[in-house]
Amino acid sequence: MTGEKKFYLTKQGLEKIRKEYQNLRGLKLAKTNVEIPKIWHSEDIDPEYLSFQEDLGFLESRMAELENILKNVELIKFPSKEKQGIVNLGARVIVKVDGQTDEFEIVGSLEANPSLGKISNESPVGGALLGHRVGDEILVSSPLKTIYKIKKIRYLTS
Amino acid sequence: MKNTLNFLLEIGKLKRKKRRGWELRGIKDPETIASHTFRMAIMSWLLGGRRGLNVNKILKMSLIHDLCEVYAGDITPYDKLLSKDKKQWKQVLKKWPRLSKKEKEKNFLEKYKRENIALEKLISSLPFQLKKEIRNLWVDYEEGLTKEGRFVRQVDRVENLLQALEYFEENKQFAIKPWWVQIEELVDDPILLEFMEALDKNFHQKK
Repeated sequence: MTGEKKFYLTKQGLEKIRKEYQNLRGLKLAKTNVEIPKIWHSEDIDPEYLSFQEDLGFLESRMAELENILKNVELIKFPSKEKQGIVNLGARVIVKVDGQTDEFEIVGSLEANPSLGKISNESPVGGALLGHRVGDEILVSSPLKTIYKIKKIRYLTS
Repeated sequence: MKNTLNFLLEIGKLKRKKRRGWELRGIKDPETIASHTFRMAIMSWLLGGRRGLNVNKILKMSLIHDLCEVYAGDITPYDKLLSKDKKQWKQVLKKWPRLSKKEKEKNFLEKYKRENIALEKLISSLPFQLKKEIRNLWVDYEEGLTKEGRFVRQVDRVENLLQALEYFEENKQFAIKPWWVQIEELVDDPILLEFMEALDKNFHQKK
C-alpha cells in the first residue's frame, strides 16, 4: 500500500534524502566489509554480534524506507507565472487567523514540521488552503470553526 | 546496576512533575509528565499497529520522548508570551500563539538544544548501545525522520488534545479552541484524523 503513495518533496528535501541514502549505503558497506562478530562467545551469545545485527537491521530498514521514497517521489515544482497566485505545494502563505498573522509553507508529509511553520498538504488546514487565492477566506471545520484569510502567497525559486 | 538504578531514580521524577501547560491554565492537581507518556504509549501502540508501523519502535519512542524534561523542564509555546502579570495570562492562553518564521526557528532551535543537552546528561551513564538507541529514537521523534517518528510526534499532540477535552468536560470555561486550532494544522496521519473525528463526536456532539 505504501508503495503507491506519492511523496512530495522540495528540491532541498530530495537532496537531503538522497544524501542520507548515499551515507547509509556507505555505512552498510563499511560495516559488512569488516569481520562479522561471531554469534557465540563461550556459552553466551556475543553482545557484539547482537549489537552488529541491530545496527545492520536499523540501517537496512531505513534504507528500504528511503528507497521507497526515492521510487515514488514527486518533486515540488516552481509554478508557472499564472499559477503563482494560487496556493499549491511549495507556497509560502501569509494568513490572518483569529486576529493574528501567521506564515505557513505548504509541504508534503515528509517535510512537515509545524513548529517551523511547515504544514503538510494532507493536514486539514494545509489541504483546505490549496487552490485558494489572496483575499479568500477559508473555513476550517473543526468542532470550533476557524477562518483563515489569505493575505499573501509567494514561491521561492530555490 | 548502580548506573541503571540512578537512571531509573532520575526518570522517576517525571511521575511527580506536573505538566506545565495545565498549571498555566490553573488546572487543580493536573496530570504529570509520566501519566501523559503512559497513555501516549498505549495510544501509539493501538493506533500505530493499525497503520502497520513498527510497534516496538513507536512504543520505545513514546516512552522516551519526554525523558529530557527531567532536566530541561516542560517548555510550552506560551512561555515567552506570558508577562509577570498573571491576570493577562487568560487572554493569551485563549488563542494558539502565532509567531513569525524567524521566531519559530529560534524557539525550535533553543528548545532542541536545551532538550538535547538534558537528554545527554540523563543517559550519560547508560551502556553505549542503550544510549545510542535512546538518542536515535529521540532525534527521530524530534525531527520526524521516519514514518514512526512522524506518527509518534502527532500522537503526542493528539493525546494532549484528549486530555484537554477531559478538562474541558469537567469545566466548560476551559479554553478548548487553541487545542483544536493547532491540531488541525499539525496532524496529517489518516488514522489520527479518524481518531480526531471520534473525539469531536464524543466531546462536542453528544446529547
